[in-house]
Amino acid sequence: MSNILEVKNIHSFINQYHILQDVDFVVPKGSITALLGRNGAGKTTTLKSILGLAIVREGKIIFQGIEVQGMQPFEIAALGIGFVPEHRAIFRDLSVEENLKIAERNKGDLESKSAFIFDLFPDLKKFLNLRGTELSGGQQQMLAIARALVADNSLLLIDEPSEGLAPVIIEHMINVIRQLSKQSTVVLVEQNFLVASKLAEYFVIIEEGKSVASGLMKDLEADKAMIHRYLGAA
Amino acid sequence: MKTNLRKNSKAIIVLTVIAVFLFVAARGMSGKDVLITVLRGFSIGSVTFLVAAGFSLIFGLLDVLNLAQGTLYMIGAYVGWTVYVRPDTFVDLLTPILLILAGFAFSALWGRLAGLVKLAPKPRKTIAWLLILVGFGLLAVVLTRYPIAKWDLDVYTESPITYSYMADQGMRIIPAEVAFDRISPFLALAGLLLTSAISAFGIALLNRDENRSKSITWRKLLVPGILLLVGILAAVFNSRITSWMFNMSTNLLFVIAILIAVLSGVGLGALMETTLIRPLYNRPIYQLMLTLGLGTIGLQIVQAVWGRPEFVFPKPEFFIGTGGACPATNIRDLFANHCSTILLLGGRVRVYDEIFIPIVGIIVLILVWILLKRSRIGMIIRAGVQDRQMVEALGINVRRVFTLVFALGVGLAAFGGALAASSSGLTPTMGERLLLSALIALAIGGLTSFPGAALGSLLVGLIQQFMIKYGQIGIPLPFTDAVFKPSPPLVPASTVLLMVVVLLILPHGLLGTKE
Repeated sequence: MSNILEVKNIHSFINQYHILQDVDFVVPKGSITALLGRNGAGKTTTLKSILGLAIVREGKIIFQGIEVQGMQPFEIAALGIGFVPEHRAIFRDLSVEENLKIAERNKGDLESKSAFIFDLFPDLKKFLNLRGTELSGGQQQMLAIARALVADNSLLLIDEPSEGLAPVIIEHMINVIRQLSKQSTVVLVEQNFLVASKLAEYFVIIEEGKSVASGLMKDLEADKAMIHRYLGAA
Repeated sequence: MKTNLRKNSKAIIVLTVIAVFLFVAARGMSGKDVLITVLRGFSIGSVTFLVAAGFSLIFGLLDVLNLAQGTLYMIGAYVGWTVYVRPDTFVDLLTPILLILAGFAFSALWGRLAGLVKLAPKPRKTIAWLLILVGFGLLAVVLTRYPIAKWDLDVYTESPITYSYMADQGMRIIPAEVAFDRISPFLALAGLLLTSAISAFGIALLNRDENRSKSITWRKLLVPGILLLVGILAAVFNSRITSWMFNMSTNLLFVIAILIAVLSGVGLGALMETTLIRPLYNRPIYQLMLTLGLGTIGLQIVQAVWGRPEFVFPKPEFFIGTGGACPATNIRDLFANHCSTILLLGGRVRVYDEIFIPIVGIIVLILVWILLKRSRIGMIIRAGVQDRQMVEALGINVRRVFTLVFALGVGLAAFGGALAASSSGLTPTMGERLLLSALIALAIGGLTSFPGAALGSLLVGLIQQFMIKYGQIGIPLPFTDAVFKPSPPLVPASTVLLMVVVLLILPHGLLGTKE
């Protein structure tokens, strides 16, 4: 299986802060890969680095054979990367429909994808004319994911999808992400190890700006010592 | 609805108080005075709105306080005047401007050529700067030798004041043409194109990585091609276009003048944003200093080119009819006789100043509103105001939208200037006063709120006009025989007072939201 994304020894900055100090991993095509680690370890910055939203000073990021480090974020995204940020970043002055429509890269994207999207999220169809922020937290998360699906994205970067959601809704979301992964590769940042272990086949652990371990999720699940060491919980 | 009312209760109370205040103020006047005062308030409000709207759009999306907005308003007025009163100067200028733009606009070509140059970074940089310097130097030489018919500030009979007066009197005489005597026509045209091309190529050499991989498509060559063609045609048919413009209906000429003023505003805005503002996005203090400085430079340039004295921007023929049938008593007469005034409630209302300008202001308000609410660009702007990074992460080139919004904002200010000049006249200080009014209007309405800009501008215009009117008729003070006449300095002070009161109660303005 080939790798859709290769992150090679990157060092990244947000403003003047040197956040990532050597992060290195690959993402096999069609997989779900979870980035794990404690708060502030650099997981979100890793996602932002891939998209060019954090400045990559050293190392390489190769997406579908193209070196993307140093490119403008909009150019990188246009190569086919969808982003679901933490805290959802729903546009509050836009209606639900506009929140989806703005993600179109070609005219008619939303129309051609609407069957697929509303099949996954039947709720959104009911609320098309509401303001984005009038939705509940769970619905906003669904909208944020739906927004990343409007354009043809072969890679989805999803940051903390379970954060602040009720258990029932988390269950629904896990199903949704599973379905998504049939079409796109998914890179997931997840605090909740249970959620991550249910979804991901591969894992990468990031600790203090470095990638310290990676491999198959089922191996990690078996290794209680490692879970305890890096993630604190088990 | 109910929650909306509760959320905005303070704003509603303040607005009600202002409305009651204005109502009481209106009760002290006769009906025709009220009408004229309100219409003038709308007129001033409309012009203020054009500047304030641009300001608010730019600030909302880019977080840049463009303090040059007042100067750009003034430049719009002077550009419009030039096209309207001296079309010959405009036609003469058209060729050099278009050819220089064409030289730079072939950027796809220069980028591709620069990509072919294989040089080490250091000599490459040296050569690039050398080319830029040589290009601009030669360009300056060609430009100074290019013949452009112009007024003469030192000779009264050839000053802008005289030309304005003549145009106002309907004497549209084509001034003497300036011949190509210091440079041959062919050399001038080729020189303009070549020197700007050299500079543009130098700039392309500097940005090494960009454009290299991008291919040249016909669409990329279309715009510069058109610029080039139109520029050359303007040179070839110079005197014919000039006499055509001098003989056309002044209504049409007026529309052309306004359009050119808006276009020059848009062009200046795009140039400002891409070259000067863009490197300073994360440094607000530098932006303030930059835009303030640009405003001053613009002011000095305008004074040097058009002179300090005030002169008029003659109104087009549609608005200057006089004679037996005027003032018009109804709309049909107005259109039949093109009267400059119309009788409403027994008062003479000036058609251009007090009816036309407010109508244009409302039309612009509606158009920009539609742009913001209905178009994709508007959607991106509304989203970008909140979260620029997320918009970019969707694959949208936010920078290009930034340039567009900046250009649009400046274009609106230039439009306001050209529109207002016919009613207020042209003076180099016209921009400063208006910038202040616009800032006060924005503070009252809410800095990033587009409807707030409109509401604030209207309130500023109304309060100013009521104060001016009461300065003439006086306010009888209760329980005494004395009459209080607000003196002229109280007019701007009253708007500041309103701003202070509003901000004390609503720190974000009437329609502003918390950040």
